Amino acid sequence: MLARVFALAGFILVILSSLLGTPVGSRNFAIIIVWIAWWASLILIAVPLLGRGWCSICPIPMPGEWLQNGAVLGPINNKKGFGLNIRWPKKLRGIWLQNVSFTVLALFSIVVLTQPHITGLVLLGLILVAVIVSIIFERRAFCRYLCPVGGFIGLYSQVSPLELRVSDTSVCADHKDKTCYTGNQDGYGCPWGVFPGGMVKNTNCGLCFECLRTCPHENIAVSLRPIGSDLSQARGRKLDEAFKAFIMLGSAVVYSLVLIGPWGVVKDAAFAVGSFPWWLYALAFLLVVYVILPGIFYLAVRYFNHTIAVNREPARSFIDYSYTLIPLGLAAWVAFSLSFVFANFSYLWPVLSDPFGWGWNIFGTAGIAWTPYLSGLIPAAQSIVLILGLFWSIAVIRRISSERNTPILSPEFQPWRIWPLVSYSAFVTVGLLWLLVG
Amino acid sequence: MIDLQMQWIDFPNKSSNVFHRQPLLWSVIGVFGLGIALFPIPLTPHRPVERNFRVDASTFEFTPAVLKVNQGDVVNIELNSADVVHGIYLDGYDIQVTAEPGQAAYLKFVADRSGTFRFRCSVSCGALHPFMVGKVKVGSDYLLMRGAGIALLALIAGVFGFQK
Amino acid sequence: MAPGRLRSEWVARLFVLFIGLGVPMIVVLVGRIDRARVINVQAKMPEVGGWSPVELSAAVGEPLDLRLVSDDVVHGFAVGKTDIQPVDLIPGQVTEVSLQFDKPGTYTFYCTKWCGPNHWRMRGTIEVTGPQFSPVAPEPPLYMSLGIDLDLPHDVHLELDRKPSALNGEALDVVLPEEFRTREYYLSNSPYDTWLALKELPAISHLNDAEVWDLVAWLWASNSNRDALKTGEELYRQNCAACHGEAGDGKGVFTRVEDNDSHAESLSKDFGHALVAPTDFTDPSHMMGSSSTLLQGKILRGGMGTGMPSWGQIFTEDQIWALVDYLWTYQFQMED
Repeated sequence: MLARVFALAGFILVILSSLLGTPVGSRNFAIIIVWIAWWASLILIAVPLLGRGWCSICPIPMPGEWLQNGAVLGPINNKKGFGLNIRWPKKLRGIWLQNVSFTVLALFSIVVLTQPHITGLVLLGLILVAVIVSIIFERRAFCRYLCPVGGFIGLYSQVSPLELRVSDTSVCADHKDKTCYTGNQDGYGCPWGVFPGGMVKNTNCGLCFECLRTCPHENIAVSLRPIGSDLSQARGRKLDEAFKAFIMLGSAVVYSLVLIGPWGVVKDAAFAVGSFPWWLYALAFLLVVYVILPGIFYLAVRYFNHTIAVNREPARSFIDYSYTLIPLGLAAWVAFSLSFVFANFSYLWPVLSDPFGWGWNIFGTAGIAWTPYLSGLIPAAQSIVLILGLFWSIAVIRRISSERNTPILSPEFQPWRIWPLVSYSAFVTVGLLWLLVG
Repeated sequence: MIDLQMQWIDFPNKSSNVFHRQPLLWSVIGVFGLGIALFPIPLTPHRPVERNFRVDASTFEFTPAVLKVNQGDVVNIELNSADVVHGIYLDGYDIQVTAEPGQAAYLKFVADRSGTFRFRCSVSCGALHPFMVGKVKVGSDYLLMRGAGIALLALIAGVFGFQK
Repeated sequence: MAPGRLRSEWVARLFVLFIGLGVPMIVVLVGRIDRARVINVQAKMPEVGGWSPVELSAAVGEPLDLRLVSDDVVHGFAVGKTDIQPVDLIPGQVTEVSLQFDKPGTYTFYCTKWCGPNHWRMRGTIEVTGPQFSPVAPEPPLYMSLGIDLDLPHDVHLELDRKPSALNGEALDVVLPEEFRTREYYLSNSPYDTWLALKELPAISHLNDAEVWDLVAWLWASNSNRDALKTGEELYRQNCAACHGEAGDGKGVFTRVEDNDSHAESLSKDFGHALVAPTDFTDPSHMMGSSSTLLQGKILRGGMGTGMPSWGQIFTEDQIWALVDYLWTYQFQMED
């Protein structure tokens, strides 16, 4: 609770400094805190280790939740909040909307990343939408169905070493009220709309721990587990998540090329929103992310199925094997983030002392000059991360292709026939190596 | 307060593992992998030469943005800013210089380390300043080669390293 | 339901309001109040606004405290014709200066770091009021009092095999008539005219053309202030080289126009006028036809629509003469 309030204070300070502070991105509290400090913590630490850990302290849904619940701490008597609590429409379930919101943000990302005003407006927009959605719909509908960050955090939480599960499902079977989902006086029903008793994957669990409060049988626990466990979970694999894997991998590839490459022409095109070159850039982005990368993968999967003489619905195979790209995408984003996070980390010190660029010097660090950190080690670190991602991806290919409902029963299945899928991952890895390190 | 119970859980799908490693092949692959990663590649001797580059900096790119030298060369970079104050910081070598338009600045160093080193603009010069990047390629990029080599090895291991 | 629950809820709500909302708001409020106490000067590239505010006022003897910050690229701040040390403005980083003026008048403050082709237009004024001494009418610039027309074409046709050398000229050991050795003569005559006049002299008719040029070089060197040459070079590099080139050849970074028309068009839009190549100081046909007064006048007044700034409000007399002395080194070999 305390952490969340401080996060909210920080968030409001971010918005204020973005709108009122210096327009110079590198000296604006908003840009540095969000795109260097928060992003680094998120992609390098929080997501790989804690999955959706950020969601538990994210300030964006907070005001809306409080209004919806009519309380800040927890349920009080039967006090009703200000929400209409309408169920989220069935047609809009899943993460397609999040795929779209992330894509839209990604197309404008260079402008958002470098212009304080734009970052501020985006964050302000997100929190306003979250409040409105909370008042209309039940639970944390914004987080589950709209938030652009939530889409990929949810996907990558499948590889986290933490999981929240029920200890004994038979206890849930006997529990009539299922207060973990409906809520009681100790806490609210799962704000994420998840029934913990049936949860097999981390994807939608926001680690808010409401269910630990409401379960009368202390049947819910947070445990450590081998990383990547959820990837082997065949239940619940869907097309929207499969495409999310490509959106993340593809955007990492495009950004590595545009932002970390030496070609000024593409950078200018990506920045000049609305101009003809930008439309070309946007088209190229969408093609790479939605057509080229998934298309080639689809062909690889089709060919694979063909060589093992299995008559399986290609869409089903495509979806299943897309999950092998999740470790690759995470590694790609970690490696890409390493390109700029440590080089620009020293911007944090002046920004903490003078968040608005108004001449303050709260901690005495306002005059610290820009100094890149660890610049000699970054290429090696990126290479190691990408190679580890490749190893992991291949391991997942192995696991998924040996699942009971996939082709191992076919006599034609020889392990080496997975080469199209393995080659895809290897080629993408080498491509990223070349873009980031070469 | 909430009580977190931390416990280990067995990995669920162990039983359906159809792939069995071939130990001999894996040892060979392992050795190759270590070799690719760590074996010091002998330098092809190039006589060190003095190379001069004239780099123009404008918002937001360097021209030329890719400089190629051999290991051991003495590199002179003349930086000319074409519109506003720019600078160059070279990753790995940790050196930098700032140039105002009309006043060329000079960077001189010995390229004793091989690889690809990115250089970035070191003076805030506008919106895309953090992404104003170029690269210096010294000799062969052994890191890239090693990485690609290991990726290839992973490919081979992943495809041929198992039998049913 | 335990009443303690309700109380903690209210405590929590207050906490949220205070920390979550209150603290950021207070922070901003304090910041705004603090900002209102001082004069904040924002520096932007001239195309998007330049200095704001662009007019400041002060009183003689009272400090003028300014908080300067750049909103985009590296700028600099200096006040023309004063001893005030220039300060660099790193984007987003606030620099505080305290200015003191002894004499009333209108001072020009300007940007000291090239920030685009219109950098030189980035100027503002400081009106300093104070007890008026008997107003001294400003002296007309030298080119006016000497009646020199700055805009008259003054190219001459000549070919030189080498740079005329002042040392050679000195070694010729010629005693020139009084009139050639006065400062007035040097100021109002171009090297070419001087050369022509010298060639008329019977006393040196034994000298060839190149040697007469060496004499001219020697005359010019004797009128140069050697100590000021370093200052002149500094000023040139900081203010002139961007257009006139580091080598003085008129090919500075802002003259690079590719063959494609749209770039030239946009550049001339930036400059606000038709593109004229900056003077090539290494070209004798141009320089040898200019007198020092003409050069000084051009620097003072500017180029009347060619993009050459007027430096009259920025540089002191001494600084401009130092520049002129430096410019002659492109034509004459003045030292070893």
